[in-house]
This record gives sequence, C-alpha cells and structure tokens, in this order.
Amino acid sequence: MSDWGMQKAALGERLAAGQRHANGKVVPIPSLPAFLKSVIRSGDRVCLEGDNQKQADILASSLANLDPAEISDLHMVQSGIVLPSHLDIFEKGIARRLDFSYSGPQSARIARMLFGGKIELGAVHTYLELFARYFIDLTPNVALIAAVSADKDGNLYTGPNTEDTPTVVEATSYKNGLVVAQVTEIVDKVPRVDIPGDLVHFVVEAGRPFYVEPLFTRDPAAITETQILTAMLAIKGIYAPYGVRRLNHGIGFNTAAIELLLPTYGEKLGLKGKVCTHFALNPHPTLIPAIEAGWVEQIHSFGSEVGMEDYVAARPDVFFTGPDGSLRSNRAFCQTAGLYACDMFIGSTLQIDLEGHSSTVTTSRIAGFGGAPNMGSDPRGRRHPSEPWLKAGAEAAPGSDAALRRGRKLVVQIGETFGERNAPLFVERLDALELASALKLDLAPVMVYSDDVTHIVTEEGIANLLMCRDKDEREQAIRGVAGYTDIGRARDPKLVEKLRARGVIRRPEDLGIDPLDADRRLLAARSIKDLMLASGGLYRPPSRFRNW
Amino acid sequence: MTAATANTDSLSWYEASARQRIDALVDPGSFVEFIGPEQREMSPHLAIFDLPEQFDDGIVIGRGRLDSSPVFVAAQEGRFMGGAFGEVHGAKLTGLLRAARTLRQDVLILFDTGGVRLQEANAGELAIAEIMRAIVEARRAGVNVIGVIGGRAGCYGGGSLIAGTCSRLIVSEQGRISVSGPEVIETNKGIEEFDSRDRALVWRTMGGKHRYLIGGADAFVDDEAQAVRQAAIDALEVTRGYGVANLEAEQSRLERRLQRFGAARDAVDVWQALGIDKPTDIPALPTDAFLAAANNRENADDAR
Repeated sequence: MSDWGMQKAALGERLAAGQRHANGKVVPIPSLPAFLKSVIRSGDRVCLEGDNQKQADILASSLANLDPAEISDLHMVQSGIVLPSHLDIFEKGIARRLDFSYSGPQSARIARMLFGGKIELGAVHTYLELFARYFIDLTPNVALIAAVSADKDGNLYTGPNTEDTPTVVEATSYKNGLVVAQVTEIVDKVPRVDIPGDLVHFVVEAGRPFYVEPLFTRDPAAITETQILTAMLAIKGIYAPYGVRRLNHGIGFNTAAIELLLPTYGEKLGLKGKVCTHFALNPHPTLIPAIEAGWVEQIHSFGSEVGMEDYVAARPDVFFTGPDGSLRSNRAFCQTAGLYACDMFIGSTLQIDLEGHSSTVTTSRIAGFGGAPNMGSDPRGRRHPSEPWLKAGAEAAPGSDAALRRGRKLVVQIGETFGERNAPLFVERLDALELASALKLDLAPVMVYSDDVTHIVTEEGIANLLMCRDKDEREQAIRGVAGYTDIGRARDPKLVEKLRARGVIRRPEDLGIDPLDADRRLLAARSIKDLMLASGGLYRPPSRFRNW
Repeated sequence: MTAATANTDSLSWYEASARQRIDALVDPGSFVEFIGPEQREMSPHLAIFDLPEQFDDGIVIGRGRLDSSPVFVAAQEGRFMGGAFGEVHGAKLTGLLRAARTLRQDVLILFDTGGVRLQEANAGELAIAEIMRAIVEARRAGVNVIGVIGGRAGCYGGGSLIAGTCSRLIVSEQGRISVSGPEVIETNKGIEEFDSRDRALVWRTMGGKHRYLIGGADAFVDDEAQAVRQAAIDALEVTRGYGVANLEAEQSRLERRLQRFGAARDAVDVWQALGIDKPTDIPALPTDAFLAAANNRENADDAR
C-alpha cells in the first residue's frame, strides 16, 4: 500500500542518499558536510540534540555550515539553544522556526534575534512538554544526536550523560525519521547498549567527546551566610515539619547550602532518615557529604555532572547504574519522577510578584525554562498519598472532606530579598510581562505560577501561602518576608503580625533559629577541595573549579 | 566522614575575617587595636564614587602578644574592596611600621589584597611606596616583619611588592602571590597565554605550593589558624638585620632561578626541573606529603 508508506519511502530515499557518503553506517568526518546536505531537506523538522548539559556539538557546527541556498526553512525542535552555532543556523537563514526549552548562555542573543525577526518562535516549553510534543505534533524528520561510542551496527553507548537521547530517538526513528549520531569513537563492542543499533541510521566518528557543561557544580566557597540562614529556615521550617523525603532541588546556591547543611545542622535536628532520602536530582557535588554520611537512599538523574562519573560508579546503591558500572541518566523519566513521585520542589528565582508568580526572565534575556516549571508545579493527575502531600493539602483546604481532598505538592521558592547586584527579589510587576508585550507573546514566560507556589523563604522568614485565605492575605504574607525591598517596606504591619500569629509567616526566632548561628563553619564542605576529600578522591572537579 | 565535624574544630585562615584571624593568631585577649572602627577614620575618596565605606577602611592594626612576646599586627579585610590599599588603609600600615622601628617591635602583616584601590590610585600607589620604605627602615633597625598570605583575595599588585620586602613569608596552599592577577594577564596577553578561568592553572602558577617551591615564600602551612600561629612564632626567631649582603645574595639567587627555570612553560615543568618525583601530583598532595616532596625546593632568602 504505497499510499500508506510515503514516510517510509521518503526515509528510504534519505538512507540511499546518505549511503553514498558512508561506509555501512559509518560516516567519515571529512564527508560530514556532503552527507548532511544529502540527508536533510529544506523545511525539515530537525532535532539537534543538546540541553543544559550535553551537546551534539560537531553535528551542530556542521549543520551551521550548510549553504542556505541549498537547505533552508528548517524547523528546529530541540531542548537547548546553548552553543553559538545553534543560533548561527538561524542567523544564516538555514532554519527559520524554533520550538525549544532552555537557552542559558545564549539568552541575550536569542532575544535580540527574536526582536530582529531572524527567528520565528513557536513556543518556549519545559523539557517534558517539548518531549511530549515530539510524539504528537513536533515529531522530527531528522535527529542529530550525541553518544560516547558506537559499534559498526550503530548500537550506541551514551555513558553517564544519556539524558534526552532515548526520547529523541524513540520519537524520530519509530516515526520514519532519520537518526544520525556523533560519537567519540567506533568500537568493536560498546560497554552497554543505551540505544539499539536498528534505530540509528548513521554514526559519525568525531574523534573527541561531545561537549558537556558542568552546570550543576556549585562552589561551596561562594555560599554566603545569608544563604545559609535561608537554608536553615527551609530545613527546620519546611523539611522537618512536613517530613519531606522525596524531592528535587534547583541549582542555586541556596539549595547547595541546604545539601551541605544536612550532615551538620540536619544531623543536630535529628532529621537523618526522616527527610531527603530520595531525590530526582543530577549528581550534585554538594550532595557528596550527605551521601557519605548516609542520608540519601536513592537518586535518579536527568543527566550526569562533569567530574562525578567515578564517584557515582562507586555508589551504585544510591545511583542508577548500568552493567558497565556507569550512571544511566534519562531526562524524560527523571522529569516525570520529579513531577509525580516527589513531594517537594525547592529552587531559587530572580523575581517574585505580589501574587507569587515567579520568573527568571529579565527584559533583555530569554533563558527558557528547562525543567523547573515541571518540577515546580502541582501534578493534578497524582493519586498516591504521602505524608507531606496530604499535610499540604489539608493546610490549603482544612474544612473539606479528607477522603476527597487533593494533596498538594510543596513548591518552595527560596532566595535572599536582594539578589545579585542588589536586585530586589520582590517586584510589583515581573519583567517577563514587558518581554511578552515587546515580543507579542501570548504568554508571559513565568517559571512558577502563583497557584503552584506554596512557600517563599527569605532571610526574613517563611511565608506559607497554603494557609492564606484570600488575595489580601497572600499579598501581605509575601510582603511580610520581602525585607527592605520596596515591596517589603510597603507591608501592612498589623496584618503581617496577625499572619505571624497564625503561623502563616514564621520568622527565624519563631523557629528557634538564631541568625548569628548561620556561619560558614556549619557547611559540611566549604570548598571544592573539601568535596573532593569527602568523596575519597573519587570526585574529579573540572580544572576551572579547582583552587589547588 | 569527618568532613562534617572537622570544620567546627579549627578556623580556616582562608575563610576567616581580618578580626577572626587576629584573634586566632595572638595570645588570647592580648590584642589592642589602634585607630579602631569607633574612630571612623574612613576613606575620603569612596563617597565620591558612591561606594560603601568601612569604619576601619579595611585594615585592622594594633598590638598584641605572640607566645608572650609583644608584636604589632596588621590584618587586611579581603571582603572589603578586595582588601585593596587606599589612602587611609595605607597610612595605618605605614604608621604601624614606623612605630615598630622606633619601638623596636616585630610586625606581622596578614595580607589579603588585590593591590591598590583603583578609586584612589595615586594615594594607594604612594602608600605602597611608603610602606615598602617603612619596612626596609624597620628591618635595618633590627625589626622582623613577617607576612602571612592565605586569604581569599590573595596577595596581588602592590601587596605582592610589599610582601617582597618582608623578612619572612608564611603561605598556605590557598594563598596566591603575584604582581599581576590572572584577569590582568589574560586581558593584556590573551587567553592563550593565561586562561584566568582555569583555576587549577591559576593556583599552580601563583598558589602557595608553587611559591614555596621556587623560594617565593619561606614557610608552608595548612589552611588553619593554629598552624599559622605556630609558623609565625617560629618565623620571629630568625636572624635579624638587613643590608647589602642580603640584597646581593638575593640577586644572585634570582639570576640562578631564571637560568634554571626560564624556559619552563608551566609550573609543572619547574617542579620537574626541581627533581620532584611525580610533579603532576603536587597540587593534590596533603601538607605533610607536599613538604616531604618539597625537600629540594629553591631556597628562600630574607629578601625576595
């Protein structure tokens, strides 16, 4: 039935065209430009693998070197706009339309190009949302992916940084799309099969590893005492009373401080085994002391972290590892785990407004979302109970029938009232709104919506938004922890004191915390070297983080 | 693991503030501050730039006792403007050194500085010159001036020149000594010459271990206040005096050093030339093992 096999036929043509530049499945590097030209068609939907960590960098620069007179109008559907070449593809007119999730280091340039009309934006997604669309209406025609090694049959070993690869390959290959992988080397036998060879059409031997950004390494030396105070408040005021065992941490310094306080402050509070036992989390170096002290039972990871490979391999009781011994990460599964199987998300943000919407957007930058809005949202499809989930649900609707009451995921925003360069954390109006109107976006890029956030933690205290009964209380609860920002100074002191009496706002002294105890000596590690030592030398930090 | 508890037993020199360092260094309760913060002797320049001031202008000076011997102490606060020298900051140290010469009392300078404060550059540069002269004059009068380097800001720019005039330098692994900082070198010579973001490169080029190995410092200690205190007590026992003979010895030592290592492209090449067994292991060695490996280091003299 040729009418029903048009996609298969088109794939056959691409395979035949590509075959002319390959030996079997292997494309030699010098043939890569001619090969790419022969298998990509103008107007194709292309997934160029890359997220906030790993990058198919060789394939990205080859794609950017195509001639726009021959190939144009590509629709890029990819997790990350991270490398300069990702935007060169648009600058040169090879691609036109973009659906993506994260743009960290390119956030300023992507905004300029959107203003300049060089990019036609579909939408900014969360990771899981973009993955979902790969299977519905954004299925790639071509996927350009990255792995560590391949055999001649195309079986791929992705190593600790598997990340998005299985998802991208699943969506592309099973829907008649073409899959091309860059690998460091071709081997006789791969250490483990992460992607079966019959889903992979061609492999390119790059001769060097794909690029990985050490995004989740936070140097303990840079943690401030204010951040330590916020971490103490979170541990004693949220982790302990709710008994949060299953959770995800953001990448900021506040949560790094929490990780480093578990074996010291957390131990003193007797919380070991009662909180932080199961994580959806990358292998954060700052979690090493807690793992070594026996706090953590299990961690599933989105990706790996540069330098943590040997440590992870030596702790298979905690991490997911393959028969070869190395970490197996999977972004789609871990995002799902963070959404449905965790009781708390806690992370830093740049701006919070009076309703509690928060955003990491500033007017000149579009950093995208990555996974935070997914982690930082209450999953309406959740049905299994747990202590923190039920307790949060009860606080939100104390009068309702317990058996019919939804629980609530704890979504905690943590930060100092004044952030980097003394920018206030609390604002009347999010910069995201200016950006949305300047770019004529239907939606302002909001990281965590106000109806999802349950707690805000600053050095001034904790605001429990679950216990606010109306808009006014909510606003005063937020103002009540906003310190000396304009928002904080415009509080209604009487109402704030009332909220405090009800336990909606809790100050350090209400929790028995002396701010003077927030000392760097409380950190289980105060430098990258301490982390290396705590790992027994297994953690090998990248050169840029080593101060020895 | 002991990492969780180790921190509470000792004071990291690198982490500590200027005042915490003094408290941990001198005999308990013996410190008396001169021109303390209550006198609000602040920079006359910073307000012009709308920059915050500090009541002690980022340096604490005074007298105390070290193992019962009277000493003068100066400690820079690296967390205030990178410990940089301004007019008042410099004048406090100059005054302390002149008093040391008159009263024949040894001095400890706890460096933590990026160099001269750009907002008051002329006054700062003059202060550097005055301080170096005051140190030389004090040493000529038989006073020992000991420098300690192990703070967050390191010891850069004019601070490193001052350090070069001290009788003895005590350094920790975290300490860095260099005239030009990493960013300055990269800006002027390009990232191929020096990648300032490569922290391992920064430390093996300017860090305490390398400086100790090539004779840029006299004592190498753990990043711990009691270790610094003991090294300071030891340092005060060395021979006093300063003259042409010291300078000539130092000149020939530097010529020899240039001959031996002038062609080296990286600190590891220098360590290899020193005959160190596994030079690439040096950065990771704990203090005891490092000191054993450093047996063949270049000598440090009483001038640098």
